[in-house]
Amino acid sequence: MKVGANGSRVAAAKGVAFSKSPVLAVRLPDWRSRIVLFGLFSAFAALAGRALWLQGVSDQFLQKQGASRYERTLELPATRGKILDRNGLVLASSLPVKAVWAIPEDVKQSPPEKLAELARLLEMPQAELMKKLDSDRTFVYLKRQVEMDVIAKIEKLGIDGLDTRKEYKRYYPQGEVMGHMVGFTNVEDIGQEGIELAQQKNLVGQTGSRRVIKDRLGRIVEDVGMSREPHDGKDITLSVDSKLQYIAYQSVKDAVAKFNAKAGAAVVLDVHTGEVLALANWPTYNPNDRSHLTGEQLRNRVITDTFEPGSTLKPFTVSLAMDKGLVKPNTMIDTGNGVIMIGGHVVHDTSAHGVINVSEVIQHSSNIGTSKIAQMLSPQEMWEMFTKVGFGQAPRFGFPGAAAGRVRPYKAWSQIGQANMSFGQGISMSLLQLARGWLIFARNGDIIPLSFQKVNEAPVGQQIISPKTAAQMRTMVESVVSPEGTAPQAQIAGYRVGGKTGTAQKVIDGRYSQSHYIGSFAGIVPMSNPRFVIAVMIDDPVGAGHWGGTVAAPTFATLAANALRAENIPPDSSVTDIIIPEHPVEESN
Amino acid sequence: MTGKLNAVLTVLLVGCALSVVNARYQRNRLVNDLEKLATQQRQLEVDWSQLQLDQSAYGKNERIEQIARTQLNMTPLSPARTQYLTEGGK
Repeated sequence: MKVGANGSRVAAAKGVAFSKSPVLAVRLPDWRSRIVLFGLFSAFAALAGRALWLQGVSDQFLQKQGASRYERTLELPATRGKILDRNGLVLASSLPVKAVWAIPEDVKQSPPEKLAELARLLEMPQAELMKKLDSDRTFVYLKRQVEMDVIAKIEKLGIDGLDTRKEYKRYYPQGEVMGHMVGFTNVEDIGQEGIELAQQKNLVGQTGSRRVIKDRLGRIVEDVGMSREPHDGKDITLSVDSKLQYIAYQSVKDAVAKFNAKAGAAVVLDVHTGEVLALANWPTYNPNDRSHLTGEQLRNRVITDTFEPGSTLKPFTVSLAMDKGLVKPNTMIDTGNGVIMIGGHVVHDTSAHGVINVSEVIQHSSNIGTSKIAQMLSPQEMWEMFTKVGFGQAPRFGFPGAAAGRVRPYKAWSQIGQANMSFGQGISMSLLQLARGWLIFARNGDIIPLSFQKVNEAPVGQQIISPKTAAQMRTMVESVVSPEGTAPQAQIAGYRVGGKTGTAQKVIDGRYSQSHYIGSFAGIVPMSNPRFVIAVMIDDPVGAGHWGGTVAAPTFATLAANALRAENIPPDSSVTDIIIPEHPVEESN
Repeated sequence: MTGKLNAVLTVLLVGCALSVVNARYQRNRLVNDLEKLATQQRQLEVDWSQLQLDQSAYGKNERIEQIARTQLNMTPLSPARTQYLTEGGK
């Protein structure tokens, strides 16, 4: 067979024949191959265009999409600072816990036995759980601040639509003993009371964030971009000593029970540094369980309640007069038969003391004696003294809700008003202000600022009375705590004690009540080298007597004796037998 | 001559490429270790806080007093039956 002899094969003319058999010879039109060529070309052109588009124009968008598939932003949580006592014992600390939240619609699909188990783990009745789930919303908190071991059990149940979110819970290991001092936070970790509120700014941490690349297994392989470091909140070291705090708390608690009182409070100050070593109230609350919290429990009486201090104020008036050289400890004052008239009003003592010296005015707590001494002073002098020691002044010791008390401007003082104020009536202050004022007698006549945080350097004082006057006053208040004084029950075996009782009628409906009193005691221990100023207040005692000397003084004695022992302060007196007369001298106010 | 140079350069290039791969792998591994340690550190911090809390809760004066009084039958001391020793004193 001849091939292409007659040129009958077009394909052959263009190149290679597809087949040697003429039967299989195909005649294709020219345009078909061109179309294929064109089709292929345009397909490649489309690919190139697409590639150009992806690489050149929309690459930003694509990179973002890619990044969102392997990059993650991690929240870096910051912990709220701890609150520590002066010895480093933890008073408040945060631990990670989880909040349990649900998508109600999904959770409701779960088998009922699983929901029953969930309700049990969340410690809520099943009805309550169902009520929470009966909602149109897509996000419902079931319970917040659930501890980790419970969370593990809940996660094991494998309920659809149930999820957890990390958060922190604040723990207060010392419970109600420290309640009023430390305060508490709410579920959002924001301070509500006490130091938690006062120091919120310092305690709160700052969350950070970082962007990372995660691999297939979820492991972090690379940091990308900027990261913000988290900053944990600062730890705060308080001035409070947990041992002294417990002693104060226990003394107040026992006293309130013993005297059927409405409330009680005590505060212990460090004489050298002005630190608040203990601050106790009763009633109190447990910051870990605030479900039945009442206002009564919440009240920090030491700081926010003001009362008329009564005779605990007499040493201020008398020391001012001594400092001005108007009287000496042995100056004789005629207190008469126990009743005098001042500016048309009656001032009386509980019994007639006759002619006594200034020391005895303090020892027997004579209202008349103190009034007569006050009459030698001008209202302005007294007002200045009160103001300098911080009475009637908004305190600046960084504690929320601190009351300023009330000292009327001296121009408005009447004769009887001045006399009343000299023995602590018609003037009000908080227990803490009173205790701070007493620092001038415990120290050498100067006053220092108080601190709720640990103080490392001794503060500089402001001189109020001379060191000599302060020493003389210490001798006088020591005589109060003797079998002859008004507060023999404040005696402590083995230690020299000085202090002054106070009994104030409560002001009810704008009038002095004849049946409701506040018994108080402010004292210094040990007298040979003062370490603590302790002030105690018992509100509305019933029964055993309402005098400061009978309710507050023994409370002070228990508190101080235990505090001295706890702090290893050596005894400064060899007296170990306390003599408490059967009928102690009653104070006038 | 050029052929030889090319061969050497190719070997070098491949070597470099492989070392880059290795370095990246090492880095990823180290970053991962670092992360693990950081997690461990956080966990230890939490444990430390928990222990501090436990110490404070178990060392509560109230609890100590109760145990001392009830289980150990202890009583508070008083100066009357205490012998104080002072340095240099008799």
